[in-house]
Amino acid sequence: MTSEQTATPFFVPNMPSIAEREGLAEWPGGVADLFLKAVPGLQFEAKQALIDVVISVSRGDILRVLKAAKTHAELQFDYLRSLTGVDWEDGGREVVYHLYSNSKKHNVTIKARCSNDDPHMPSAIEVWRGADWHERETFDMFGIVFDGHPNLVPILLPDDFEGIHPLLKSRPLAAIEVKQGAGSAGDDAEANE
Amino acid sequence: MTTLIEREPEFETIDLDINMGPQHPSTHGVFRMVLTVDGERVMDVVPHIGYMHRGAEKLCENMDYRQGVGYMDRTEYLGELNAELAYVIAAEKLGGLEVPERAEYMRVIGAELNRLASHFMFMGAFGADVGYFGTSFTYAFRERENIQDLLEEVCGDRIMFNYFHPGGLAWDTPPNFPERCRWVLKQVRQGIKDLDGLMTHNEIFIARCRGIGAIAKQEAIDWGVTGPTLRASGHAFDIRKEEPYSIYDRFQFDIPTGQYGDVYDRYLVRLEEMRQSVRIIEQALDQLPEGPIKPEKMPRILRPPTGEIYVRTESPRGEYGVYAISTGGAKPYRLKVRSPCFSNLSALKSMTVGSYIADAVIILGSIDIVLCEVDR
Repeated sequence: MTSEQTATPFFVPNMPSIAEREGLAEWPGGVADLFLKAVPGLQFEAKQALIDVVISVSRGDILRVLKAAKTHAELQFDYLRSLTGVDWEDGGREVVYHLYSNSKKHNVTIKARCSNDDPHMPSAIEVWRGADWHERETFDMFGIVFDGHPNLVPILLPDDFEGIHPLLKSRPLAAIEVKQGAGSAGDDAEANE
Repeated sequence: MTTLIEREPEFETIDLDINMGPQHPSTHGVFRMVLTVDGERVMDVVPHIGYMHRGAEKLCENMDYRQGVGYMDRTEYLGELNAELAYVIAAEKLGGLEVPERAEYMRVIGAELNRLASHFMFMGAFGADVGYFGTSFTYAFRERENIQDLLEEVCGDRIMFNYFHPGGLAWDTPPNFPERCRWVLKQVRQGIKDLDGLMTHNEIFIARCRGIGAIAKQEAIDWGVTGPTLRASGHAFDIRKEEPYSIYDRFQFDIPTGQYGDVYDRYLVRLEEMRQSVRIIEQALDQLPEGPIKPEKMPRILRPPTGEIYVRTESPRGEYGVYAISTGGAKPYRLKVRSPCFSNLSALKSMTVGSYIADAVIILGSIDIVLCEVDR
């Protein structure tokens, strides 16, 4: 199963992943098989992360997948735990959904990417009402516009906020830009070029 | 002489927008809600949050896994050890660290003591909302002070504990900790009994709380509500039992649930949870082993390999989740804090519409929000 998107890596390559370290199998089975059954013809990637199965779909399919996740008899993910965004810089912006089923007692993580030039994503508000505030917060922090959301106004930031959205990597934390993901605090702070 | 009732058809009424502004003694923090009222009945509620947004998630991207613990304290400032627990479990699972037994037991004891302290705070503040004004505070804070003194002896601080480190604890407990803890539990048991006697069967308390602000089980799940607010609606969902983390599967305890999902049930659920927490701490104290509190092969700077994890814990308010993505460095690439009060508060409108303004205050108090967590 491959995703319909271009071959941008979901994790940084050439680093030993936890899957490689723990020898976790390629196709996780379980919930991923249920999704295969529930949404026929879906192109997606599935991986076993440390606790959940992570399913990556394309933006065109995400609403279909979320609806099936909530309504399909074998999935029944009635509880949207968390909806958030991740900024992968050149890889686009990713929206991550964490779901749990109270009846079937299984959980899943679903991801979908949108590109930086077209940061739109369909809104999940018609599937779970709880997506309302989570999507407003993701819009605030990442600038991802959720199409179909009835009230997409800033929730944590001021109403007249302008500029680079805070949680994007292109917005530095302070006047000194700190290199991401390397060293410990204090020994790799570089000034802005 | 015309009376008002005769003139009613020509009586023009408007729905007023009333602002319960960020500075308000009953909103439990800097929280603003705009109530649209018809007379005294609330027709619409628009909550405005974000007054306490300090960018904890962005800051944590530039902190390594030991420094971020302090930020988790400051998000959930009433159940800090539960927040720290979620963060350090995420760091440990990503980094492949094994936590020694003594540290695990101390973590559970700390988290449950913190749950007790948080619920005492709720009893005090909620009682003040309902009308006890100062009485519930004095009853509740007497025991909360005992717990905070005990935790000060262990962690060095009364609120911002910063005690859990990835791998174990910051330092070991003082030698008289079990006796001190049992003494505190004795006081706490008496305190719970006192609060029970003060509030539970008080006629005015019941009249103010029964039938107010109910939310149905399915609707609550749809909104993402968790914690005592959800359990009061009848759904026994507690992450300590559903997806046990740390060593919670070794202890016997029950999950109290309510029946009607109204404010009175939320109070009862929290009261019973306090008793269950005491039960857990007693079992943990009986089983507390001696031993190290940090693993031997503890790297000085934890650099977890590439991967991601979503750790969920049961904080006093609901599901506190930490979603951490690591790309191999000492700092997380993305750290998302899933705060229970954020989701609980989003259901405020469906709980409040149709009730009186005075009830809106009580409903907000019964959700037990912590604004630092809502805004991070």
